[in-house]
Amino acid sequence: MKDFSISGTQSSPAIQGNWDGGVLSMQGDSYPENSYDLFSQVFEWVKSFLKESDRPLVLELQLLYLNTSSIKALMDILDMLEDAHQSGRAVSVNWRYDQRNERVAELAEEFKEDCTFPFTIIGQS
Amino acid sequence: MELIDLFSMREAFNRQSVILCFNGPISRSLIEEIGNALRNYLEADNTHPSAAMDVFSVYIEMTQNIRHYALHKGWAEPDSSATVVVANDGEGQYLVSAGNLVEQEDGEVLMLKIAELGTQDKTQLKALYKEQLRKPRDAGVSSGAGLGLIDIARKARHPMQATLKKLDDGRAFVSLSVAI
Repeated sequence: MKDFSISGTQSSPAIQGNWDGGVLSMQGDSYPENSYDLFSQVFEWVKSFLKESDRPLVLELQLLYLNTSSIKALMDILDMLEDAHQSGRAVSVNWRYDQRNERVAELAEEFKEDCTFPFTIIGQS
Repeated sequence: MELIDLFSMREAFNRQSVILCFNGPISRSLIEEIGNALRNYLEADNTHPSAAMDVFSVYIEMTQNIRHYALHKGWAEPDSSATVVVANDGEGQYLVSAGNLVEQEDGEVLMLKIAELGTQDKTQLKALYKEQLRKPRDAGVSSGAGLGLIDIARKARHPMQATLKKLDDGRAFVSLSVAI
């Protein structure tokens, strides 16, 4: 049904929503001036998925630099996942990062602190 | 037009190890373009990826704060300008500085916030950050003393340095300098 795909730009991530597979993927940097414009559609997609199906949802992230506006937006999405998890829904996050830049891992860890669902941070060389 | 004394400028820049500077109206695309120049410099200088990300991050948060402030105030182009300088002392420390026009009262609020953040240790800053993260989207936006500022404080090697210079028309010029 509702697959979507947003091309990445220099300052915003590439985002893909795979409805049948239950996968939301995001790659790249995110520092748009107004993250709300970009992330609100992602938020709505996740909200619809959680409401209209009962299948597991996985977030596959390869995000790099996030400005604070993007951090807030991602937190809103993760909060939604946490609520779903508390209600018994299967949700999880996998965050892959380049091992040479531990800042990305630190950012991912801080998000993970507020989540009780499976959240895996994977360093790659 | 006044003749530009490039030699004096060069001397001043070299003395302060300036690698990048900008003065004027700052649009969204300009922030990105200058950001690109900064990233290229950091890469060419073999800066460690996480240090490079910190420098870039502080630059983005500072300039975007200035943009948001001007937009929020509904100021026209000349007033929504910024002066941005990045210096590299050659020993692995970067200094990112940015200054802009503000209303006097907003400037005072910002100065207080910066002073307060300067007294916090890493743990306290993280707690403040997490608290601010969960506040409603617009809280703190008018003075620019929100999440972005705390993020900058967390990445700074030393407490942020700030100055507020009162101008004639009820406005002031605020400048912020961060060592990374």
